[in-house]
Amino acid sequence: MANVSLQKVNKIYGSGPGSVHAVQDLDLDIADGEFVALLGPSGCGKTSTLRMIVGLETITSGHIFFDERDMSRLEPQERNVAMAFETYALYPNFTVEENLAFPLEVRGVDSDVRRKKTEEIAEILQITDILNAFPPELSGGQQQRISLGRALIRDPSVFILDEVMSHLDAHLKFRMLFDLKRLHRELKRTMVYVTHDQVEALALADRVAVMSNAKMQQVGDRNTLYNRPANVFVADFIGEPPTNFFTACVATEDNETRLLVDDSDLVLVPDQSTAGKLRQSGHDKVTAGIRPQNLGLSETPYSLKAEIDINEYLGERSMLTVQNGAATFQSLAPPDMRAGPGEAIQLYYEPSSVMVFDFETEKLIA
Amino acid sequence: MTTDTGSTTDGVKDMWRHVRFLFLAFLVLWVVFTVFPLYFMVITAFKTAAETNLTVPTFWPQDWRPGNFAGVFAEKTNFNALLDSFIIATANTALSLFLGSLAGYAFARFPRQAGGENLAFWILSNRMFPPVAILVPMFFLFDNTPWGTDSHLSLIFLYLVFNLPLATWLMMVFFRDAPLEIEEAAYLDGWRPLRAFVKVTLPLVLPGMVSVAMLCWIFAWNEYLFANLFVGSAVKTYTIVIPTFTHGSQTLWNLQMAFSLIAMIPPVTLFILLRRYMVRGLSLGVVKG
Repeated sequence: MANVSLQKVNKIYGSGPGSVHAVQDLDLDIADGEFVALLGPSGCGKTSTLRMIVGLETITSGHIFFDERDMSRLEPQERNVAMAFETYALYPNFTVEENLAFPLEVRGVDSDVRRKKTEEIAEILQITDILNAFPPELSGGQQQRISLGRALIRDPSVFILDEVMSHLDAHLKFRMLFDLKRLHRELKRTMVYVTHDQVEALALADRVAVMSNAKMQQVGDRNTLYNRPANVFVADFIGEPPTNFFTACVATEDNETRLLVDDSDLVLVPDQSTAGKLRQSGHDKVTAGIRPQNLGLSETPYSLKAEIDINEYLGERSMLTVQNGAATFQSLAPPDMRAGPGEAIQLYYEPSSVMVFDFETEKLIA
Repeated sequence: MTTDTGSTTDGVKDMWRHVRFLFLAFLVLWVVFTVFPLYFMVITAFKTAAETNLTVPTFWPQDWRPGNFAGVFAEKTNFNALLDSFIIATANTALSLFLGSLAGYAFARFPRQAGGENLAFWILSNRMFPPVAILVPMFFLFDNTPWGTDSHLSLIFLYLVFNLPLATWLMMVFFRDAPLEIEEAAYLDGWRPLRAFVKVTLPLVLPGMVSVAMLCWIFAWNEYLFANLFVGSAVKTYTIVIPTFTHGSQTLWNLQMAFSLIAMIPPVTLFILLRRYMVRGLSLGVVKG
């Protein structure tokens, strides 16, 4: 096991005017035994990043270290990494047992030890009953387990799991999430989990690295990403439903700072420390954000007045889409909320839940 | 309402009965059309030379002459002709398959570096060229090689012109179907590219390779046009021996047919032995895991 460090890594596909800058100046440090998720929308460069870590893709510039050892120019065979693929990539003409034992066979481990280790790993993944089957005969969930097993059977520097759950149904996914978490706790290996699904990433990982547009946006644990998003993208991408954003002017009167939302009569009041930073930085136009979860019906001194547009019943809660002037935003309400379209409503919030971003750079101010 | 539906389904059933009848009738015609030449070939091989030349042909030999089959080998070199054909066809197939697999792999995995779809298609288009158009230039070209035209090597190389494009194109399709991830998984598991190719990818395309081999072998085995011009004294293929069964101005149809039947044995045997692979290989997309 090893820690993994990416320093100023770049990937450019092609050259000249048609080239694509897929990964831009990426820095990432993963501690020994840590479980890190690489999260981002399709085409953000996360798969390129992962393929550079394992060596299937060359690095245009920058360095990748495993435990201080520079791996940047080594072939995949020399890096000692294990990877589970989105499509499982099992060898269809080998049995499950041969598939599992394959990495050991390549390394010249003798057959007694191979057999023992195979049984051990099959036990952990609960696939002992299908060891003699061929992969094409098996279900997606079983194939997924075998592909994990083939990665886990040896002792690599780092495990890479590439979108391994995107082809599983919701029920199976839930079980695999649990299994993976348990496996990581038992094995204490360095793992990198690549996904576009924030639920998977937040559920599994110690830390989540959010990527977008070829760049690293933020690395942090669940609370940091949720409560202190580095920029508008992270605030928007993390959390379901997405954060409400307003373009607002900063108005300071009698030592009180308020945000006046454009084209509506909404007023957001940030908390003291945010207000202080706002005054210091001298912004007059900002992007303000507040999560639908933080807009509710339980009373506080601060509220937003609006008119209900849509009331969607989602089972354990209702989602209200409301309007004030040109501003449309959403709030999560209790499921028994019966108010219909056209009714006026007061939605309450705590000043601490108001996030303020620079209007130009979209970076978090406070 | 119910009676209406009843009569409609009856009508549909009636229609299907007619369609089935037409279909069967077509099949019978088809079988007659394809099997009759073979039948006539077989009975001709058993006839006497005189009977083959009757103005009104007989459809069953009046006088059975199984000795015709031994008779074709009266000239000892005739057996060598089968051997020569076998050597040429087999060597050419091996070469086509080897080069075609390498080229097909390159086109499938590194399309841009290998010259792209256009180059691949240009190679295939060589196969569509009318062979007779290059007959004479090819003769002079091979005449200037150290081994000349009348040799095994000349035909082994010449048939590459026809077989290599086919092998390249088909192998390219098979390799495209073999998932790249499986190879990458083998790299990560510790194998070098060549080993991963041999151990992991090659088994996946094996059924395809067998069908390509069959197609190449049968083409080289049956080729007449170029063989007739190129070889004839040091080397003879069976295809140029068949027309030599004559007696004065008389064509010995019985011997020609007997020899043709003997020449059919190797490809038919191969096909029967390998038909399982053939069917899997020719129905593309078999390797998806």
